[in-house]
Amino acid sequence: MAALLADEFFLIAHEDRTGRSRLHPRATGLGLAGALLGELMVSDRVRAYEGDLYVVSREPTGDPLSHDVLDLLIAQPQHRELRTWLAFLAQDATVKVGERLLRAGVLEPVTRRKLMGTQTLYMPMNSNQRNVAAWAPIRLAEILVRRRPMNLSDRVLVGLVVATGLTRHVLWDFQAHRDALVHLPTIVSSLPEDLRQLVEHTEALVGSVLAAGRR
Amino acid sequence: MPGRDAAEPDIVSRALARNRLGVPSVVFFGVAGAAPLTVILGSVTTIYAVIGSTAVPVSYLVAAGILSIFTVGFVAMSRHIVNSGAFYSYISHGLGRVIGVGAAFVALPAYALMQVGLFGLFGVVGSGILDSFGFTVSWFVCALVAWAIVAVLGVLWVDLSGRVLGVLLVAEISLVLFYDLIMTIHPAGGHVSFATLSPAKMIDPQAAALLVVAIAGFVGFEATVVLSEEARDPKRTIARATHWAVIIPGAVIGLSAWAMSVSTGPGNIVAAAKDKHTDLVFSLISTHVPQVFVSIGYVLFLTSVFAALLAFHAAVARYEFALGREGVLPGIWGRTHPRTGAPLMGSITQSVLAIGVLIVYYATKADPLVYLFGWLTIVGGLGVLILMWAASAAVIAFFIRNRGQENVWRGQIAPVIAFLLLSGVLAATIIGLGDLLQVSKDSPFQWLFPAAYAIFAVIGFGWALVMRGARPDVYAAIGRGADGHLTSIAAMPPAQRMQTAAAEAAALRSIRAPQSTLIH
Repeated sequence: MAALLADEFFLIAHEDRTGRSRLHPRATGLGLAGALLGELMVSDRVRAYEGDLYVVSREPTGDPLSHDVLDLLIAQPQHRELRTWLAFLAQDATVKVGERLLRAGVLEPVTRRKLMGTQTLYMPMNSNQRNVAAWAPIRLAEILVRRRPMNLSDRVLVGLVVATGLTRHVLWDFQAHRDALVHLPTIVSSLPEDLRQLVEHTEALVGSVLAAGRR
Repeated sequence: MPGRDAAEPDIVSRALARNRLGVPSVVFFGVAGAAPLTVILGSVTTIYAVIGSTAVPVSYLVAAGILSIFTVGFVAMSRHIVNSGAFYSYISHGLGRVIGVGAAFVALPAYALMQVGLFGLFGVVGSGILDSFGFTVSWFVCALVAWAIVAVLGVLWVDLSGRVLGVLLVAEISLVLFYDLIMTIHPAGGHVSFATLSPAKMIDPQAAALLVVAIAGFVGFEATVVLSEEARDPKRTIARATHWAVIIPGAVIGLSAWAMSVSTGPGNIVAAAKDKHTDLVFSLISTHVPQVFVSIGYVLFLTSVFAALLAFHAAVARYEFALGREGVLPGIWGRTHPRTGAPLMGSITQSVLAIGVLIVYYATKADPLVYLFGWLTIVGGLGVLILMWAASAAVIAFFIRNRGQENVWRGQIAPVIAFLLLSGVLAATIIGLGDLLQVSKDSPFQWLFPAAYAIFAVIGFGWALVMRGARPDVYAAIGRGADGHLTSIAAMPPAQRMQTAAAEAAALRSIRAPQSTLIH
């Protein structure tokens, strides 16, 4: 089975050694929310039109989490705006996707004490898991550098990586990755219209969340 | 889809509301920048001493009144524009992008100078406190320490959390009210005088110019609208919170300035302030309360100035970030640190500017309280006043074009009154600036600062015109915030929007065609 969009984004957005988010936590949440909606769009369950989301197929997706999201979209027809759904899903996307990766055996939960209360992180614990986690960004960089054919899901992933500010993490080498960096905007603009909207709205929300500067 | 009538319970709205800000949080955010204790102990005493006017208490109340009227239209407009970040975005929406960029170029030096000025106050207060412990440390060293901490925290983007600020603010205001009570029940000559609250004092042109200093004490209240997307109810929460963020500091500062004059007697306040400077309040109450209350006061004073330093630093950095993101400043200012979201270049720029100014003041041995804190606050306040004045005009223009969006009071009457009042204050300030800065009649400083702002504005106009010619797409997004591209389409009438979308799709197809082989 091909790797799921949100899973790939999760692995790229978190440090494999510490389980910490590489981005501002809210930016990671928004990126994951975008990825979850992206999964539904790629599998033709949901469409975006002028910033609004429409359910076009109610057929179960086969994955409990993305089915859960689809169910919510169906259950709450009064909310259509892409932005609202991104903000809503961003709130617990990290935990939800982390749990999905736990079920897939890719990550394990680690509970840390913090100043107040505890925090559960999902991180790779054995060498196999670490390899899988470390491979996610390298795989994307490889595809980009070698200009390999990309499926739709990976192109959305590239869009979300750019939108949330993970670009320099995936393409970290100025010399070797220069061509790929130049290539990024064309990948984003080649996305179908509704997925392009998804990426743009995610980028805009990340921007306004960072501008407000609230944790 | 099974009908569009609302499904109960509304899971999405509830979940989103849980994490959103209520009125108190937004008020704290707005007032924290204004830092009432800093204004009362720092600005009020300095104004008494330097300008020698007894109209200080009433000037704060009048300023709060003017800003309240301004807030009515300002908040009403914030409901209708998507990116309600800063004054310049209001101005670009109301008066056009050219004037908007000019405003941004006035805003940057204004906020930046106010922040640098606070280092002077911090240095003086810090060295005063160390002196009382028997250490002789110059103001410059204290300011440098504060500068280093602010520079590091700014890059790490360690904003004091809302809760810490809230606790500090409540402690500050309680302490101030306690001091006010002590000063009022021990009046000079045994009777409480209301002379310094007389509105008649405001007729004097010099007193009218005092308003610019008073308005400088409120700077930060406009930051509340930044949180409109984070507020529980964007329509009501922000409006109420912004009004509170004007009224609370106005009342507390006005009351305290009056209480000082009661304690010394209206006739002696200027002489007393000249003698004690920022220690004035502490020396007035120290004979009536245990020493511990004075010590707490000093500590809170220092934390208050520091919080204000940090808040202003973040505000300037955020302003530069917004401008960088919109393409008005070079793109590097629009980048943030991925993990923390810190606007790195903005933060570094402000720190470099601050250290430069501090070194100049140290080298020229100018008095840090009068020339660093006093002057830069007044000059920065003048810049913010120009911005508010332009923003009030923008509100009028906006509601002329969008008639019927708000009721007559919010959309027309209040904005016009605010514009007239602010025009008066601005004129009085520019005429009376020499008096405020205490320079002689033939000094170039009388006109240097307004002229500098005018030059900055003109550079901004020119830059906007250059952008319109060279990068029309970037120009179109000015003042539209992080999601400039989206909102510039969303703001168009539907027919035009369709055309744009169609044109974009056509353009995309033409771009996509040759590359499709490459990507698929």
